[in-house]
Amino acid sequence: MSSKTTGRPLFGEQQRFMLLLIAPAAVLLTLFQVVPIAIGANASFRDWALYNPKKTWVGLAHYQAVLSDPEFLWVVLPNTFIFMIVSVAGALVLGLALALLLNRPFAGQKLVQTVLLVPLMVAPVIAAIMMRWMFNDQFGIVNAVLEGLGLDGQPWLVERWTAFGVILMTDIWLWTPWYTLLLLAGLQSLPREPFEAAAIDGTSTWRVFTHLTLPMLRSVIVVCVVIRAIDAFRTFDIVWTLTGGGPGRSTELFSLYAYVLAFLSLDFGRGSAAAIIGGIIILVVGAVLYRVVDRLART
Amino acid sequence: MSRPEAGGPEKHESCMASITLSKLNKHYGALHHAVKDVDLTIADREFVALVGPSGCGKSTTLRMIAGLEDISGGEIRIGERVVNHLPPRDRDVAMVFQNYALYQHMSVYDNLAFGLRNKKISEAEIKAAIDRAAEILGLHDLMKRRPRQLSGGQQQRVALGRCIVRNPVAFLFDEPLSNLDAKLRAQMRIEIKRLHAQVPTTSVFVTHDQVEAMTLGDRVVVMRDGRVQQAGTPLVVYNNPVNRFVAGFIGAPAMNFLDVTIRREGVVLVAQSAAVKLAITEPSGEALAAWIDRPVVMGVRPEHLVLGGDGVLSRSFQANVEVVEQLGSEILLETRVGQARVTVARVAPETQLAAGDQVRLSVQPGRLHFFDPNSEAAITA
Repeated sequence: MSSKTTGRPLFGEQQRFMLLLIAPAAVLLTLFQVVPIAIGANASFRDWALYNPKKTWVGLAHYQAVLSDPEFLWVVLPNTFIFMIVSVAGALVLGLALALLLNRPFAGQKLVQTVLLVPLMVAPVIAAIMMRWMFNDQFGIVNAVLEGLGLDGQPWLVERWTAFGVILMTDIWLWTPWYTLLLLAGLQSLPREPFEAAAIDGTSTWRVFTHLTLPMLRSVIVVCVVIRAIDAFRTFDIVWTLTGGGPGRSTELFSLYAYVLAFLSLDFGRGSAAAIIGGIIILVVGAVLYRVVDRLART
Repeated sequence: MSRPEAGGPEKHESCMASITLSKLNKHYGALHHAVKDVDLTIADREFVALVGPSGCGKSTTLRMIAGLEDISGGEIRIGERVVNHLPPRDRDVAMVFQNYALYQHMSVYDNLAFGLRNKKISEAEIKAAIDRAAEILGLHDLMKRRPRQLSGGQQQRVALGRCIVRNPVAFLFDEPLSNLDAKLRAQMRIEIKRLHAQVPTTSVFVTHDQVEAMTLGDRVVVMRDGRVQQAGTPLVVYNNPVNRFVAGFIGAPAMNFLDVTIRREGVVLVAQSAAVKLAITEPSGEALAAWIDRPVVMGVRPEHLVLGGDGVLSRSFQANVEVVEQLGSEILLETRVGQARVTVARVAPETQLAAGDQVRLSVQPGRLHFFDPNSEAAITA
């Protein structure tokens, strides 16, 4: 009624209703995503620590410190990328192998399928604790078995590369079923006829795999890899639980590095700077991977 | 276009590429018996069309010949070899699928070369074989394209090409024209026919379309519920259907069926119902002597009914026009005769007719069919 005299309102009835519907999500997103990022970004330019209540503006000093920290450059970054590549590739290969095995009918298929999915239902922290005990050098079952076989037990979590291997194994174990699930769905959605045509044309199993299955499954594989690569970049829980970044700082991944700075050293400024550097790296990696996906999926 | 030499890189000397099915059976689980005791011999270079409604077992039969389905019972021979337990790749057959089954991520050339590369044939020989196939099918301009850039008809030609480059002992076609529109289907039908003339190879063609079966097949095999109903040349199947099912399935529009009783009137037999009384002059009349005063099913094809017929009262009957379908080249009449519906084809397009008109229809000599109402088998002399 008032609109007749004061002119049209800013939003129509329908728009106002839509804004009302979006509002709760927008408020939550702002409170818990946008504001913290802004605060973090602000902190990264300040000397923000418990011992300095003034939060002095220091410009890019924290960024310089992180980017010139040899620990960050020569341990944390390589670790993070090695972890990302090996974890994604390992779980992909194993997941694909399992998916191929499950994609043919056999007795007890449903049971095997369910059992294989169990790791997906285990919380990563639980899996990591389990692994830590299994690879404990004094009480662990792995060493017990090795010694029972007459071999020497290894100090698994005390050496850099064995510890890193255990971390990788845990992550691959956790994520293989996820690949299996998605790739199996992909395999089952493939048309049957090209494979029948190939069978009639006398194609060997390996050639069917390399020339038909893989190319036809490519879009699913690429999507899996992108999602998991970005996810792997920010892995925290299993490393923290298994080794805490040790021995020394030799198995630290990027997320641990930022966490230790911010919440153990309580240097929020430096920690925030590290987190933002990580954010930028993952943004670039993600964008590159995404472009690759796009190109591969289109051809 | 020079006529290419039939055959590809390695011509089969034996040429004994007949296919023999004996007592072939297929069960899916305990309940579904898809193919029942199929006996069929397909001669070398013969083109046989398996036709029937969906679910009649024709595709299953073809897939068993290809080796894509296990055989539950019976025997399949290709040439002299029993192939029951041979994997598809060892049967030396080629197959064309309904949805083409091309390798979407490969170029047309690579699609054609794929089967040959499996056999580790030299690239020069592969190129020669592909050139030959491309010549026959007119594929030269498409070689670099991907299948999805092609029309349905072009894709199916590529699929045909993939078969001929391999020079197999037999071609198996699984409803290859069903995904094409009507016009293209007619073109491809002719193309397949021409291909068979140029590269005479034993062929089994599965279709649910009786027109395809009739036009392509040297012989037509009609199947229903997993059983072969009749196998014969198109003309035999059309003129002498062995049962009511074959009679109704082959021919378009479908044959008309009327329930009648056989009676003797003097020296002649007549087929009589409340609305119809026709003198039987067909050769099968002798066999009908055993059916006097018993009900039978009488069949007459729409194209064997003629409008008018005052001259031969004993071979004509009265019908009530319900629907007039003008096709330009002819009129199709949908009429009612007593309780039965009777279709009439090939009525001259100029004929002035409207729904509700009374017309007189007469039957061409020798064109009545009779079937046992219980077994549905044809009653023949």
